[in-house]
Amino acid sequence: MTIRFPGDCVVCGEKVNANETGMWARGVGVRHEGCVQAKALACIVCGGPAGCGMCEFRDDCDIESVSDICICRKCSEMPDTFSVYQRAAAKKFPLLNPDPS
Amino acid sequence: MWSEKHRPGSVSGMVGNEEARATLVGWLAKWKKGTRPILLVGPPGTGKTTVANLVAPQFGYDMIGLNASDVRSKSKISEILEPVLGNVGILGSPLIFIDEVDGIHGRSDFGGAEALIKILKNPVVPIILAANSDASNKMRGIKKAVTTVYFKKLSPRLLRVYLRGILKKENAELGPGSIIQVINRSGGDIRSMMNLAQSLETGFTPDTGKSHGTLNVEAGVAAFFKAESVEEARRILYSIGSDPREKINAFYSSIVMAGIGPEARSTMLQAISEADMLYGRIIRTQQWRLLRYLNEILLRVYLPGTNIGYAKYNLSWPVLNRIIWDGKKLRSVSGILAEAMHTSRSTIATLCLPYMLHMMKGGHLDLGLDESHESALRKEMARA
Repeated sequence: MTIRFPGDCVVCGEKVNANETGMWARGVGVRHEGCVQAKALACIVCGGPAGCGMCEFRDDCDIESVSDICICRKCSEMPDTFSVYQRAAAKKFPLLNPDPS
Repeated sequence: MWSEKHRPGSVSGMVGNEEARATLVGWLAKWKKGTRPILLVGPPGTGKTTVANLVAPQFGYDMIGLNASDVRSKSKISEILEPVLGNVGILGSPLIFIDEVDGIHGRSDFGGAEALIKILKNPVVPIILAANSDASNKMRGIKKAVTTVYFKKLSPRLLRVYLRGILKKENAELGPGSIIQVINRSGGDIRSMMNLAQSLETGFTPDTGKSHGTLNVEAGVAAFFKAESVEEARRILYSIGSDPREKINAFYSSIVMAGIGPEARSTMLQAISEADMLYGRIIRTQQWRLLRYLNEILLRVYLPGTNIGYAKYNLSWPVLNRIIWDGKKLRSVSGILAEAMHTSRSTIATLCLPYMLHMMKGGHLDLGLDESHESALRKEMARA
Protein backbone atom coordinates (compact mmCIF):
# COMPACT_ATOMS: atom_id res chain seq x y z
CA MET A 1 0.00 0.00 0.00
CA THR A 2 1.05 3.61 -0.42
CA ILE A 3 1.91 5.11 2.93
CA ARG A 4 0.02 8.34 3.57
CA PHE A 5 1.94 9.69 6.54
CA PRO A 6 5.67 9.53 7.30
CA GLY A 7 6.84 7.37 10.20
CA ASP A 8 9.59 5.09 11.49
CA CYS A 9 9.75 1.51 10.31
CA VAL A 10 9.09 -0.84 13.26
CA VAL A 11 11.60 -3.36 11.86
CA CYS A 12 14.65 -1.38 10.71
CA GLY A 13 13.97 1.92 12.48
CA GLU A 14 14.61 3.96 9.32
CA LYS A 15 12.26 6.65 8.07
CA VAL A 16 9.28 5.59 5.94
CA ASN A 17 8.29 8.58 3.80
CA ALA A 18 4.81 9.52 2.71
CA ASN A 19 3.85 8.10 -0.73
CA GLU A 20 6.39 5.29 -0.29
CA THR A 21 5.18 1.68 -0.70
CA GLY A 22 5.03 -0.19 2.58
CA MET A 23 2.71 -1.81 5.08
CA TRP A 24 0.79 -0.33 7.95
CA ALA A 25 -1.35 -2.13 10.52
CA ARG A 26 -3.25 -0.72 13.43
CA GLY A 27 -1.38 -1.29 16.68
CA VAL A 28 1.71 -2.54 14.85
CA GLY A 29 2.97 0.47 12.92
CA VAL A 30 4.51 1.04 9.56
CA ARG A 31 7.11 -1.09 7.75
CA HIS A 32 9.10 -0.68 4.56
CA GLU A 33 8.08 -2.96 1.71
CA GLY A 34 11.35 -4.87 2.11
CA CYS A 35 10.92 -5.16 5.87
CA VAL A 36 7.49 -6.81 5.68
CA GLN A 37 8.95 -10.33 5.67
CA ALA A 38 11.45 -9.58 8.44
CA LYS A 39 10.60 -10.82 11.91
CA ALA A 40 9.78 -8.18 14.52
CA LEU A 41 9.22 -8.99 18.16
CA ALA A 42 6.09 -7.94 20.04
CA CYS A 43 5.87 -6.33 23.47
CA ILE A 44 4.27 -8.64 26.01
CA VAL A 45 3.04 -5.76 28.16
CA CYS A 46 1.36 -3.35 25.73
CA GLY A 47 0.94 -5.75 22.81
CA GLY A 48 2.55 -3.31 20.36
CA PRO A 49 5.78 -3.80 18.46
CA ALA A 50 8.88 -4.13 20.64
CA GLY A 51 10.63 -1.58 18.44
CA CYS A 52 13.43 -3.85 17.23
CA GLY A 53 14.54 -1.21 14.72
CA MET A 54 15.36 1.25 17.47
CA CYS A 55 16.42 -1.24 20.13
CA GLU A 56 19.62 -0.53 22.04
CA PHE A 57 20.52 -4.23 21.62
CA ARG A 58 19.81 -4.19 17.87
CA ASP A 59 23.37 -5.25 16.90
CA ASP A 60 23.55 -8.10 19.40
CA CYS A 61 20.02 -9.51 19.29
CA ASP A 62 19.58 -12.36 16.84
CA ILE A 63 15.87 -11.82 16.19
CA GLU A 64 15.50 -15.09 14.30
CA SER A 65 16.72 -17.22 17.19
CA VAL A 66 15.25 -15.46 20.23
CA SER A 67 11.90 -16.04 21.92
CA ASP A 68 9.11 -14.27 19.94
CA ILE A 69 7.96 -12.05 22.76
CA CYS A 70 10.00 -9.14 24.06
CA ILE A 71 9.23 -5.85 25.79
CA CYS A 72 9.23 -2.36 24.28
CA ARG A 73 11.48 0.38 25.60
CA LYS A 74 8.62 2.33 27.21
CA CYS A 75 7.27 -0.70 29.10
CA SER A 76 10.79 -1.81 30.08
CA GLU A 77 11.37 1.53 31.82
CA MET A 78 8.32 1.14 34.11
CA PRO A 79 9.02 0.81 37.84
CA ASP A 80 9.18 -2.83 38.98
CA THR A 81 9.18 -4.01 35.38
CA PHE A 82 9.50 -7.69 36.25
CA SER A 83 6.18 -7.68 38.12
CA VAL A 84 4.59 -5.82 35.20
CA TYR A 85 6.02 -8.47 32.87
CA GLN A 86 4.72 -11.32 35.07
CA ARG A 87 1.22 -9.85 35.18
CA ALA A 88 1.21 -9.37 31.40
CA ALA A 89 2.49 -12.95 30.81
CA ALA A 90 -0.20 -14.37 33.12
CA LYS A 91 -2.86 -12.36 31.28
CA LYS A 92 -1.70 -13.45 27.82
CA PHE A 93 -1.05 -17.07 28.85
CA PRO A 94 -3.62 -17.88 31.56
CA LEU A 95 -1.95 -21.24 32.21
CA LEU A 96 1.00 -19.33 33.64
CA ASN A 97 -1.23 -17.51 36.09
CA PRO A 98 -0.43 -18.77 39.60
CA ASP A 99 -3.70 -17.40 40.97
CA PRO A 100 -6.47 -17.73 38.35
CA SER A 101 -9.06 -16.16 40.67
CA MET B 1 25.44 -18.03 43.87
CA TRP B 2 22.83 -15.77 42.35
CA SER B 3 21.78 -18.29 39.72
CA GLU B 4 20.90 -20.75 42.52
CA LYS B 5 19.71 -18.22 45.10
CA HIS B 6 17.27 -16.59 42.67
CA ARG B 7 16.12 -19.74 40.93
CA PRO B 8 12.39 -19.11 40.30
CA GLY B 9 10.00 -20.61 42.83
CA SER B 10 7.19 -21.13 40.32
CA VAL B 11 6.65 -21.43 36.58
CA SER B 12 5.16 -17.93 36.57
CA GLY B 13 8.35 -16.59 38.20
CA MET B 14 10.39 -17.45 35.12
CA VAL B 15 11.13 -15.14 32.22
CA GLY B 16 10.81 -15.72 28.46
CA ASN B 17 9.53 -18.69 26.43
CA GLU B 18 6.03 -17.99 27.70
CA GLU B 19 4.29 -20.09 25.05
CA ALA B 20 6.59 -23.09 25.62
CA ARG B 21 6.06 -22.89 29.39
CA ALA B 22 2.29 -22.62 28.93
CA THR B 23 2.34 -25.66 26.61
CA LEU B 24 4.19 -27.71 29.23
CA VAL B 25 1.81 -26.63 32.00
CA GLY B 26 -1.19 -27.43 29.77
CA TRP B 27 0.29 -30.82 28.88
CA LEU B 28 0.77 -31.81 32.52
CA ALA B 29 -2.61 -30.41 33.57
CA LYS B 30 -4.34 -32.64 31.01
CA TRP B 31 -2.01 -35.62 31.39
CA LYS B 32 -3.60 -39.06 31.56
CA LYS B 33 -2.18 -42.54 31.10
CA GLY B 34 -1.01 -42.92 27.53
CA THR B 35 -0.45 -39.19 26.83
CA ARG B 36 2.67 -38.74 24.71
CA PRO B 37 5.75 -37.66 26.71
CA ILE B 38 7.04 -34.15 26.11
CA LEU B 39 10.50 -33.21 24.83
CA LEU B 40 11.86 -29.76 25.67
CA VAL B 41 14.47 -28.67 23.14
CA GLY B 42 16.54 -25.52 23.45
CA PRO B 43 19.95 -24.01 24.05
CA PRO B 44 21.49 -24.15 27.55
CA GLY B 45 20.25 -21.62 30.08
CA THR B 46 16.78 -21.13 28.62
CA GLY B 47 14.96 -22.73 31.56
CA LYS B 48 14.19 -26.30 30.43
CA THR B 49 15.42 -27.99 33.61
CA THR B 50 14.05 -25.24 35.82
CA VAL B 51 10.54 -25.42 34.34
CA ALA B 52 10.50 -29.22 34.68
CA ASN B 53 11.55 -28.93 38.33
CA LEU B 54 8.83 -26.37 38.99
CA VAL B 55 5.94 -27.86 37.08
CA ALA B 56 6.08 -31.27 38.85
CA PRO B 57 5.32 -30.07 42.41
CA GLN B 58 2.78 -27.57 41.04
CA PHE B 59 0.62 -30.53 39.96
CA GLY B 60 1.46 -32.76 42.93
CA TYR B 61 3.97 -35.02 41.19
CA ASP B 62 7.19 -36.34 42.73
CA MET B 63 9.91 -35.73 40.20
CA ILE B 64 12.44 -38.45 39.52
CA GLY B 65 15.33 -36.78 37.73
CA LEU B 66 17.71 -38.71 35.53
CA ASN B 67 20.33 -37.70 33.03
CA ALA B 68 21.60 -39.38 29.88
CA SER B 69 24.28 -41.36 31.72
CA ASP B 70 21.53 -43.06 33.77
CA VAL B 71 19.72 -44.26 30.66
CA ARG B 72 22.66 -45.13 28.42
CA SER B 73 22.16 -48.88 28.55
CA LYS B 74 19.15 -51.15 28.59
CA SER B 75 20.20 -52.69 31.90
CA LYS B 76 20.50 -49.28 33.58
CA ILE B 77 17.08 -48.26 32.30
CA SER B 78 15.58 -51.50 33.64
CA GLU B 79 17.35 -51.01 36.95
CA ILE B 80 16.17 -47.42 37.43
CA LEU B 81 12.88 -47.02 35.61
CA GLU B 82 11.17 -50.40 35.83
CA PRO B 83 10.64 -50.27 39.61
CA VAL B 84 9.09 -46.83 39.14
CA LEU B 85 6.89 -47.81 36.21
CA GLY B 86 5.80 -51.06 37.82
CA ASN B 87 4.86 -49.59 41.21
CA VAL B 88 3.13 -46.36 40.33
CA GLY B 89 0.37 -46.83 42.92
CA ILE B 90 2.81 -47.49 45.78
CA LEU B 91 5.21 -44.70 44.89
CA GLY B 92 2.52 -42.03 44.71
CA SER B 93 2.56 -39.84 41.61
CA PRO B 94 6.01 -39.98 40.05
CA LEU B 95 7.05 -37.83 37.10
CA ILE B 96 10.17 -38.84 35.22
CA PHE B 97 12.48 -36.13 33.97
CA ILE B 98 15.39 -37.15 31.75
CA ASP B 99 17.80 -34.30 31.18
CA GLU B 100 20.29 -34.00 28.29
CA VAL B 101 18.65 -36.87 26.47
CA ASP B 102 20.59 -35.92 23.32
CA GLY B 103 23.64 -37.20 25.19
CA ILE B 104 22.25 -40.74 25.24
CA HIS B 105 24.60 -43.24 23.63
CA GLY B 106 23.60 -44.03 20.06
CA ARG B 107 25.30 -47.43 19.93
CA SER B 108 22.63 -50.05 19.58
CA ASP B 109 24.64 -52.65 21.52
CA PHE B 110 24.02 -50.64 24.69
CA GLY B 111 20.34 -50.61 23.85
CA GLY B 112 19.63 -47.44 25.87
CA ALA B 113 17.86 -45.53 23.13
CA GLU B 114 15.70 -48.49 22.11
CA ALA B 115 14.68 -49.29 25.69
CA LEU B 116 13.86 -45.64 26.32
CA ILE B 117 11.76 -45.38 23.14
CA LYS B 118 9.83 -48.48 24.23
CA ILE B 119 8.98 -46.78 27.53
CA LEU B 120 8.11 -43.52 25.77
CA LYS B 121 5.62 -45.30 23.52
CA ASN B 122 3.58 -46.65 26.46
CA PRO B 123 3.90 -44.08 29.23
CA VAL B 124 2.22 -44.92 32.53
CA VAL B 125 3.61 -41.80 34.25
CA PRO B 126 4.28 -38.31 32.86
CA ILE B 127 7.71 -38.22 31.21
CA ILE B 128 9.54 -34.99 30.41
CA LEU B 129 12.72 -35.11 28.34
CA ALA B 130 15.13 -32.23 27.77
CA ALA B 131 17.75 -31.81 25.06
CA ASN B 132 19.91 -29.03 23.70
CA SER B 133 19.29 -30.15 20.14
CA ASP B 134 17.01 -32.56 18.34
CA ALA B 135 18.98 -32.59 15.11
CA SER B 136 21.02 -35.75 15.61
CA ASN B 137 20.08 -39.13 14.14
CA LYS B 138 19.77 -40.71 17.56
CA MET B 139 17.03 -38.20 18.44
CA ARG B 140 14.93 -39.23 15.44
CA GLY B 141 13.44 -42.31 17.11
CA ILE B 142 12.81 -40.43 20.35
CA LYS B 143 11.11 -37.54 18.52
CA LYS B 144 8.62 -39.90 16.89
CA ALA B 145 7.35 -40.93 20.33
CA VAL B 146 7.07 -37.50 21.93
CA THR B 147 5.54 -34.05 21.57
CA THR B 148 8.32 -31.52 21.01
CA VAL B 149 8.33 -28.05 22.52
CA TYR B 150 11.05 -25.60 21.56
CA PHE B 151 12.70 -23.20 23.99
CA LYS B 152 14.53 -20.23 22.49
CA LYS B 153 17.18 -17.87 23.76
CA LEU B 154 15.87 -14.82 25.55
CA SER B 155 15.86 -11.40 23.94
CA PRO B 156 18.37 -8.99 25.51
CA ARG B 157 15.67 -6.61 26.74
CA LEU B 158 13.85 -9.37 28.63
CA LEU B 159 17.16 -10.42 30.11
CA ARG B 160 17.67 -6.85 31.29
CA VAL B 161 14.22 -6.81 32.92
CA TYR B 162 15.14 -9.98 34.81
CA LEU B 163 18.64 -8.79 35.69
CA ARG B 164 17.37 -5.48 37.04
CA GLY B 165 14.94 -7.41 39.26
CA ILE B 166 17.79 -9.55 40.62
CA LEU B 167 20.07 -6.55 41.17
CA LYS B 168 17.27 -4.85 43.09
CA LYS B 169 16.75 -7.91 45.30
CA GLU B 170 20.49 -8.14 45.92
CA ASN B 171 20.66 -4.41 46.57
CA ALA B 172 23.49 -4.38 44.06
CA GLU B 173 24.28 -1.97 41.27
CA LEU B 174 25.83 -2.31 37.85
CA GLY B 175 26.30 0.60 35.50
CA PRO B 176 24.25 0.68 32.28
CA GLY B 177 27.41 -0.16 30.28
CA SER B 178 28.16 -3.18 32.48
CA ILE B 179 24.54 -4.37 32.22
CA ILE B 180 24.70 -4.21 28.42
CA GLN B 181 28.11 -5.94 28.46
CA VAL B 182 26.79 -8.73 30.71
CA ILE B 183 23.68 -9.23 28.56
CA ASN B 184 25.56 -9.25 25.27
CA ARG B 185 28.17 -11.68 26.56
CA SER B 186 25.54 -14.05 27.94
CA GLY B 187 24.12 -14.66 24.44
CA GLY B 188 20.57 -15.23 25.70
CA ASP B 189 21.62 -17.66 28.46
CA ILE B 190 20.07 -16.57 31.80
CA ARG B 191 22.39 -18.66 33.95
CA SER B 192 25.43 -17.30 32.18
CA MET B 193 24.07 -13.74 32.56
CA MET B 194 23.53 -14.17 36.31
CA ASN B 195 27.00 -15.66 36.81
CA LEU B 196 28.62 -12.86 34.82
CA ALA B 197 26.65 -10.21 36.67
CA GLN B 198 27.64 -11.69 40.02
CA SER B 199 31.27 -11.90 38.92
CA LEU B 200 31.25 -8.23 37.93
CA GLU B 201 29.39 -7.14 41.03
CA THR B 202 31.81 -8.98 43.31
CA GLY B 203 34.78 -7.35 41.64
CA PHE B 204 35.94 -9.97 39.15
CA THR B 205 36.39 -8.12 35.89
CA PRO B 206 38.03 -10.03 33.10
CA ASP B 207 40.20 -7.77 30.99
CA THR B 208 38.07 -7.06 27.97
CA GLY B 209 39.38 -3.52 27.48
CA LYS B 210 40.34 -3.65 23.82
CA SER B 211 37.24 -4.96 22.23
CA HIS B 212 37.43 -7.69 19.65
CA GLY B 213 33.65 -7.68 19.49
CA THR B 214 32.16 -11.12 19.76
CA LEU B 215 34.19 -13.52 17.69
CA ASN B 216 32.95 -16.81 16.38
CA VAL B 217 35.01 -19.82 17.32
CA GLU B 218 36.72 -20.05 13.93
CA ALA B 219 37.91 -16.44 13.84
CA GLY B 220 38.61 -16.53 17.58
CA VAL B 221 40.92 -19.54 17.54
CA ALA B 222 42.81 -18.22 14.49
CA ALA B 223 43.24 -14.77 16.09
CA PHE B 224 44.24 -16.33 19.44
CA PHE B 225 47.29 -18.09 18.03
CA LYS B 226 48.27 -14.99 16.03
CA ALA B 227 48.14 -12.76 19.13
CA GLU B 228 51.35 -10.91 19.88
CA SER B 229 51.09 -11.05 23.64
CA VAL B 230 49.41 -13.07 26.37
CA GLU B 231 47.21 -10.05 27.16
CA GLU B 232 45.97 -9.89 23.60
CA ALA B 233 45.40 -13.65 23.56
CA ARG B 234 43.40 -13.32 26.79
CA ARG B 235 41.23 -10.56 25.32
CA ILE B 236 40.56 -12.66 22.22
CA LEU B 237 39.73 -15.68 24.37
CA TYR B 238 37.16 -13.69 26.34
CA SER B 239 35.71 -12.40 23.05
CA ILE B 240 34.92 -15.86 21.70
CA GLY B 241 31.18 -15.99 22.17
CA SER B 242 30.75 -19.74 21.87
CA ASP B 243 29.54 -22.49 24.09
CA PRO B 244 32.47 -23.64 26.32
CA ARG B 245 32.27 -27.17 24.92
CA GLU B 246 32.56 -25.84 21.37
CA LYS B 247 35.50 -23.69 22.43
CA ILE B 248 37.37 -26.62 24.00
CA ASN B 249 36.69 -28.83 20.96
CA ALA B 250 37.88 -26.11 18.56
CA PHE B 251 41.16 -25.66 20.44
CA TYR B 252 41.63 -29.42 20.64
CA SER B 253 41.09 -30.06 16.92
CA SER B 254 43.26 -27.05 15.96
CA ILE B 255 46.15 -28.22 18.16
CA VAL B 256 45.91 -31.85 17.06
CA MET B 257 45.99 -30.90 13.39
CA ALA B 258 48.77 -28.29 13.71
CA GLY B 259 52.35 -29.05 12.71
CA ILE B 260 53.96 -28.35 16.08
CA GLY B 261 56.61 -30.13 18.11
CA PRO B 262 55.74 -32.91 20.56
CA GLU B 263 56.67 -30.88 23.64
CA ALA B 264 54.50 -27.90 22.72
CA ARG B 265 51.68 -30.23 21.73
CA SER B 266 51.94 -32.10 25.02
CA THR B 267 51.80 -28.87 27.08
CA MET B 268 48.84 -27.61 25.09
CA LEU B 269 46.92 -30.89 25.31
CA GLN B 270 47.54 -30.98 29.05
CA ALA B 271 45.81 -27.59 29.34
CA ILE B 272 42.95 -28.73 27.07
CA SER B 273 42.57 -31.82 29.21
CA GLU B 274 42.31 -29.72 32.38
CA ALA B 275 39.79 -27.39 30.72
CA ASP B 276 37.75 -30.40 29.65
CA MET B 277 37.79 -31.85 33.17
CA LEU B 278 36.74 -28.50 34.63
CA TYR B 279 33.85 -28.17 32.20
CA GLY B 280 32.79 -31.75 32.92
CA ARG B 281 32.78 -30.92 36.60
CA ILE B 282 30.72 -27.76 35.99
CA ILE B 283 28.13 -29.74 34.05
CA ARG B 284 28.04 -32.52 36.66
CA THR B 285 27.77 -30.26 39.68
CA GLN B 286 26.11 -27.26 38.01
CA GLN B 287 28.67 -25.01 39.71
CA TRP B 288 28.68 -22.40 36.97
CA ARG B 289 30.80 -20.03 39.00
CA LEU B 290 33.75 -22.26 38.10
CA LEU B 291 33.33 -21.24 34.47
CA ARG B 292 35.40 -18.13 35.15
CA TYR B 293 38.51 -20.33 35.44
CA LEU B 294 38.00 -22.00 32.06
CA ASN B 295 39.49 -19.22 29.95
CA GLU B 296 42.50 -18.92 32.25
CA ILE B 297 43.21 -22.63 31.79
CA LEU B 298 42.74 -22.38 28.01
CA LEU B 299 45.11 -19.40 27.96
CA ARG B 300 47.93 -21.84 28.74
CA VAL B 301 47.73 -23.19 25.18
CA TYR B 302 48.99 -19.83 23.92
CA LEU B 303 52.55 -20.02 22.66
CA PRO B 304 53.92 -17.00 20.81
CA GLY B 305 55.15 -17.64 17.29
CA THR B 306 53.26 -20.87 16.68
CA ASN B 307 51.61 -21.19 13.33
CA ILE B 308 48.31 -22.76 14.35
CA GLY B 309 45.15 -22.18 12.38
CA TYR B 310 41.58 -23.20 13.11
CA ALA B 311 40.75 -26.81 12.26
CA LYS B 312 37.21 -28.05 12.56
CA TYR B 313 37.99 -31.76 12.55
CA ASN B 314 40.59 -33.50 14.66
CA LEU B 315 41.31 -36.10 12.00
CA SER B 316 42.81 -35.79 8.54
CA TRP B 317 40.39 -35.84 5.61
CA PRO B 318 41.33 -39.36 4.33
CA VAL B 319 40.75 -40.80 7.82
CA LEU B 320 37.49 -38.90 8.22
CA ASN B 321 36.35 -40.03 4.80
CA ARG B 322 37.08 -43.62 5.75
CA ILE B 323 35.21 -43.33 9.03
CA ILE B 324 32.16 -41.71 7.47
CA TRP B 325 31.74 -43.74 4.26
CA ASP B 326 33.44 -47.07 4.86
CA GLY B 327 32.31 -47.01 8.48
CA LYS B 328 28.70 -47.01 7.33
CA LYS B 329 29.25 -50.17 5.29
CA LEU B 330 31.28 -51.83 8.04
CA ARG B 331 28.56 -51.09 10.59
CA SER B 332 26.10 -52.75 8.28
CA VAL B 333 28.38 -55.80 7.88
CA SER B 334 28.90 -55.94 11.64
CA GLY B 335 25.13 -55.84 12.11
CA ILE B 336 24.60 -58.81 9.78
CA LEU B 337 27.40 -60.82 11.38
CA ALA B 338 26.29 -59.89 14.91
CA GLU B 339 22.83 -61.25 14.20
CA ALA B 340 24.22 -64.46 12.70
CA MET B 341 26.69 -65.02 15.53
CA HIS B 342 24.40 -63.93 18.38
CA THR B 343 26.76 -61.29 19.67
CA SER B 344 27.02 -57.53 19.67
CA ARG B 345 28.16 -55.37 16.76
CA SER B 346 30.87 -54.02 19.01
CA THR B 347 32.27 -57.52 19.65
CA ILE B 348 32.22 -58.27 15.92
CA ALA B 349 33.92 -55.01 14.97
CA THR B 350 36.59 -55.03 17.65
CA LEU B 351 37.31 -58.73 18.24
CA CYS B 352 36.11 -60.87 15.33
CA LEU B 353 36.52 -58.72 12.23
CA PRO B 354 40.35 -58.50 12.24
CA TYR B 355 40.57 -62.34 12.37
CA MET B 356 37.85 -62.73 9.74
CA LEU B 357 39.71 -60.36 7.42
CA HIS B 358 42.87 -62.38 7.93
CA MET B 359 41.04 -65.61 7.08
CA MET B 360 39.34 -64.04 4.06
CA LYS B 361 42.69 -62.74 2.85
CA GLY B 362 44.07 -66.29 2.96
CA GLY B 363 41.03 -67.60 1.10
CA HIS B 364 39.86 -69.69 4.08
CA LEU B 365 36.55 -67.88 4.61
CA ASP B 366 33.73 -66.71 2.38
CA LEU B 367 30.97 -64.87 4.17
CA GLY B 368 28.67 -64.83 1.17
CA LEU B 369 27.80 -61.14 1.53
CA ASP B 370 26.50 -58.93 -1.29
CA GLU B 371 28.83 -56.97 -3.54
CA SER B 372 28.71 -53.60 -1.69
CA HIS B 373 29.56 -55.27 1.63
CA GLU B 374 32.25 -57.41 0.00
CA SER B 375 33.88 -54.31 -1.50
CA ALA B 376 34.02 -52.62 1.93
CA LEU B 377 35.65 -55.75 3.35
CA ARG B 378 38.11 -55.91 0.42
CA LYS B 379 39.18 -52.34 1.25
CA GLU B 380 39.69 -53.35 4.87
CA MET B 381 41.69 -56.40 3.78
CA ALA B 382 43.94 -54.18 1.66
CA ARG B 383 44.57 -52.00 4.70
CA ALA B 384 45.04 -54.90 7.12
